[in-house]
Amino acid sequence: MKKLRQSLLIQYVLIILVATMFIPITVPALSILFFNFTPEDDSSDRYYNGTDIEQMWSSTAKELGGATEEQIRDKFLEMKGIYPEASLYFIDEEGQNRLKYPESLEIPQHWSASYAVDFMKKNRGGEVDPFTVVSFIGDDQGEGFIVLQIPRSDMVSPSSINGELYNYFIIGTFILILIGFIVISTLFFYRIRKRLLHLQKVMDTSEGNSIPSAVEVKHQDEIGRLGQSFNRMVEELETGRKREQEEEKLRKELIANLSHDLRTPLTTIRGHAYRLKKESLSEDGQESVDLIDEKVNFMAELMENLLSYTLLHAGKYPYHPEEVDIVRLIRTSFAGWYPIFENMKFKIELEIPDERIVWNIDPQWFHRILDNFFQNVYRHAGNGRYVGIKIENRSVIIEDRGPGMSAQSGKKGAGVGLSVVSLMLKEMQLNWDIDTSEQGTTMKITPK
Amino acid sequence: MKKILYLEDDLEIGRIVKEDLEQRGYFVHWLTSGEGAVEALKDEELVILDVMLPGLDGFTVGQRLKRHHPEVPILMLSARTSVDDKLQGLNFADDYVTKPFHPEELAARIEVLLRRNQRAMPEEIRVGRLIVNLTENRILTQSGEEILLTAKQHQIFMYLLRHPNQILTKEQLYEAVWGASFLEGDKSLMVHIRYLREKIEEQPSEPKIVETIRGIGYRVKL
Repeated sequence: MKKLRQSLLIQYVLIILVATMFIPITVPALSILFFNFTPEDDSSDRYYNGTDIEQMWSSTAKELGGATEEQIRDKFLEMKGIYPEASLYFIDEEGQNRLKYPESLEIPQHWSASYAVDFMKKNRGGEVDPFTVVSFIGDDQGEGFIVLQIPRSDMVSPSSINGELYNYFIIGTFILILIGFIVISTLFFYRIRKRLLHLQKVMDTSEGNSIPSAVEVKHQDEIGRLGQSFNRMVEELETGRKREQEEEKLRKELIANLSHDLRTPLTTIRGHAYRLKKESLSEDGQESVDLIDEKVNFMAELMENLLSYTLLHAGKYPYHPEEVDIVRLIRTSFAGWYPIFENMKFKIELEIPDERIVWNIDPQWFHRILDNFFQNVYRHAGNGRYVGIKIENRSVIIEDRGPGMSAQSGKKGAGVGLSVVSLMLKEMQLNWDIDTSEQGTTMKITPK
Repeated sequence: MKKILYLEDDLEIGRIVKEDLEQRGYFVHWLTSGEGAVEALKDEELVILDVMLPGLDGFTVGQRLKRHHPEVPILMLSARTSVDDKLQGLNFADDYVTKPFHPEELAARIEVLLRRNQRAMPEEIRVGRLIVNLTENRILTQSGEEILLTAKQHQIFMYLLRHPNQILTKEQLYEAVWGASFLEGDKSLMVHIRYLREKIEEQPSEPKIVETIRGIGYRVKL
């Protein structure tokens, strides 16, 4: 029983087995039932067969030899009791009709020889309805004859009716078994399907954190075991997720601490350099102090970029895209850089339209990208004395006339910064082209 | 002498900053932890606050200080550079400077905060041929002639003067003066500036006071 409940296969095999075994077992059982319950209606004094009736009638006629009309009448009444549908009449030796049952029967009162012959002729043959038997009374023909007419419909024996009924009954039973089998099979598979669909639905539903909830296991069969495996998987996923979150938190803290721990000594170095600068130093000394200061800046920036790069790569850098008017954003961003380029005697060319151009980007990110570009121009393209910002054909173009990127040997470190820019642009679905030569560098940002 | 409350746990940085600020003429009250900071704040006019402090962290200390002394500006000085940290800090702080900072930058920012807090703009500003009296809201030429501006012109000019040497974009100016968001193509700012120039500039076609930065906005250099 336990095994039965644990296996859908065994359950189904059982259904098929029951269905096939049903036929050899039920058919004999039903036959027995059928014949026991239908009336055994072969009342012995009644015949259905033509030959039997003829024999019975001629022996009756013989027995009536020498009988009075009264006796014949009694016999007729007796016969009528057995064959209620039958017509009976008695014609005497004169051809006179003496008795007829039922009384309403329309036959001539006097039977001429020609009528008798005609009657005999008409009522002969296997198919004539009613079935007619004529017998002379007694041993010779001097006492007249008696006629028995039975409608063919009354000559069908109950047992032959039963036989037909039995055939219908068996066929009906077969059909019933078949329908039963189909219904049970359908129900069986319907139930399986329902449970599978339920399982699928549960597996599909993600509650925001994309881990589905556990399913309730009611049966211990194959599907039930599938559910259990699924639950185990969910559990493992959840512990995995938790561990991942813990690791993520640790990593974030580590990075934050590392950043802090590196920046603190840098601050001290810068502070001391600044103090040194206030002392009276030789020109070389001043230069060294300036260099220290510059390198501190460079280190800080490098750390910042490394941190950003790590976070961006892990998809943990806060990203909040919105509809942004980039014309305005560029204007605001460049307003901060303008005095710096102005001081360096740059030629500044701004070609931005007086209309809104809306991109779906994170404004903070885009600010940072622009800052990075302007910083690169400031640091590496000072010789060119030129910076150009254009918005053309949905593209943002930033140009300089510096020595190009391949010549940027003096101040390295643009690499990580540009990697950050590259990752950010990719995330914001923006294309990025760099065209760099000894005559200058052109950066072009175009939405995809 | 202006007093500054300084919270910093790193002794070396603390010493350098204290020394530098004292040389600049401030009195620095330096604490190495956030405990008791609220009680320590008495007549100081500014707080410099490190984020990573032992015990109470800088954010908590800053919020407490702001609750008890909302009028005292707070400058966060932090090695945390992420946007999230900056935003969290600027929730209550008035400025956020990341380490490694340059002592001069720190000094400049302190000055800005103190000035802002006291509204300590000088009474008179000389710009080009004009002398602007900010307390009386009067604009005089060097020859003593008074220039009368309409309300909008005055607002625009004052906003530019309050942000000297800074390029203000069309949007910034418009939104500050009109108090509504700028619609691209709106020419009213341009028109007002043209009339303003006609009144204040010697040669309105070659403006010297209100500079146009093509494609970006306007600037008043002092």
